[in-house]
Amino acid sequence: MSTTIDVAESSHNNVSKGKATIVGTPKRPGGWKKGVSIMDFIVRLGAIASTIGAIATMANADQTLPFFNQFVQFEASYDSFSAFQFFVITLALVSGYLVLSLPISIVAIVRPHAVGPRIFLIILDTIFLTLATSSAGAAASIVFLEHNGEQDPNWLAICNQYGTFCMQTSEAVISSFLAVVSFIIIIIINTLALGKH
Amino acid sequence: MSTTIEVGESSSRKIAKEKTPLIGAPKRGGGWKKGVAIMDFILRLGAIAAALGAAATMSMADQTLPFFTQFLQFEASYDNFSAFQFFVISMAFVGGYLVLSLPFSIVTIIRPHAVGPRLFLIILDMVFLTLATASAAAAAAIVYLAHNGDQDSNWLAICNQFTDFCQQTSGAVISAFVSVVLLLFLVIMTAVALRSH
Repeated sequence: MSTTIDVAESSHNNVSKGKATIVGTPKRPGGWKKGVSIMDFIVRLGAIASTIGAIATMANADQTLPFFNQFVQFEASYDSFSAFQFFVITLALVSGYLVLSLPISIVAIVRPHAVGPRIFLIILDTIFLTLATSSAGAAASIVFLEHNGEQDPNWLAICNQYGTFCMQTSEAVISSFLAVVSFIIIIIINTLALGKH
Repeated sequence: MSTTIEVGESSSRKIAKEKTPLIGAPKRGGGWKKGVAIMDFILRLGAIAAALGAAATMSMADQTLPFFTQFLQFEASYDNFSAFQFFVISMAFVGGYLVLSLPFSIVTIIRPHAVGPRLFLIILDMVFLTLATASAAAAAAIVYLAHNGDQDSNWLAICNQFTDFCQQTSGAVISAFVSVVLLLFLVIMTAVALRSH
């Protein structure tokens, strides 16, 4: 049993080589990855809102008690506490990053199958997630102390006197934790979109 | 110009059909993804050491001052502070998770192109990164207060008296931040390795 395959020589003169224009790779439908990118964009907008809200609330946290003695007027402000200053500065950085990452997120919507924008977003989102979580955690620790005090080093719970200040700082911390949760959501959905076909 | 391909008829009687055993899909070379997986395993071991070291150091932070009054003995221990208790528990969780994730990391070394284990690892790594960061930041805020105090709320800087306790807690917080950085690297490396070609 044998097979014979004869392929004749091709001559350059007789065959006219036409040039086919390359139109471009056909666009695959976006599918679920496009939906993921749109959800990423929307959650990013929500994270911007909660971050800026947290900064605004914390920066306005200020309360002066209506009584005073001969030496000192009782005032609590966010810049009395280093953790709150760190909170405001760090969340400002985080919100700036979120605003600057909106165009990249739009690119990921337009080109859902492109790997580059998503990887870039995931890496930077993780770094800023860490920053946001650390500032939220530090501020939460101080807010917890304000509410409860600490017996052994005799740190008094100042919430009992400074009610408004306490409420404002607590709200700022809650808002920043919403931003942290938003970060986690966008990182997870971007990772799923990256890993699966 | 024409090509001729002649394939003779095959008769089933003359050819003894041999069966080739199906060995399985040919293994592709691991390449850089295998290197990333090995580095992931090593960093994971380092993060285990850092997280468990932080939990152990903090849980052993205890100092009793050599003088005492008629009524009380001056002692500072980690469980006087809620933030430190939270720190010990959550760093123990993070260390436990990292130990349990070692088999998954080994699976990614053996099968570098499998997406499932890496996806699982990156999502859980990110969740525990957030937990570790929040607890480390909360403890760091308390340690900062212990070093510096706070004038407006009359919280005294206890580090001046309890120097050993202060040193142990500060060391624990630093170790926790080392584990946070290692977890951050783990997440970023796994995200890069997840790129599907």
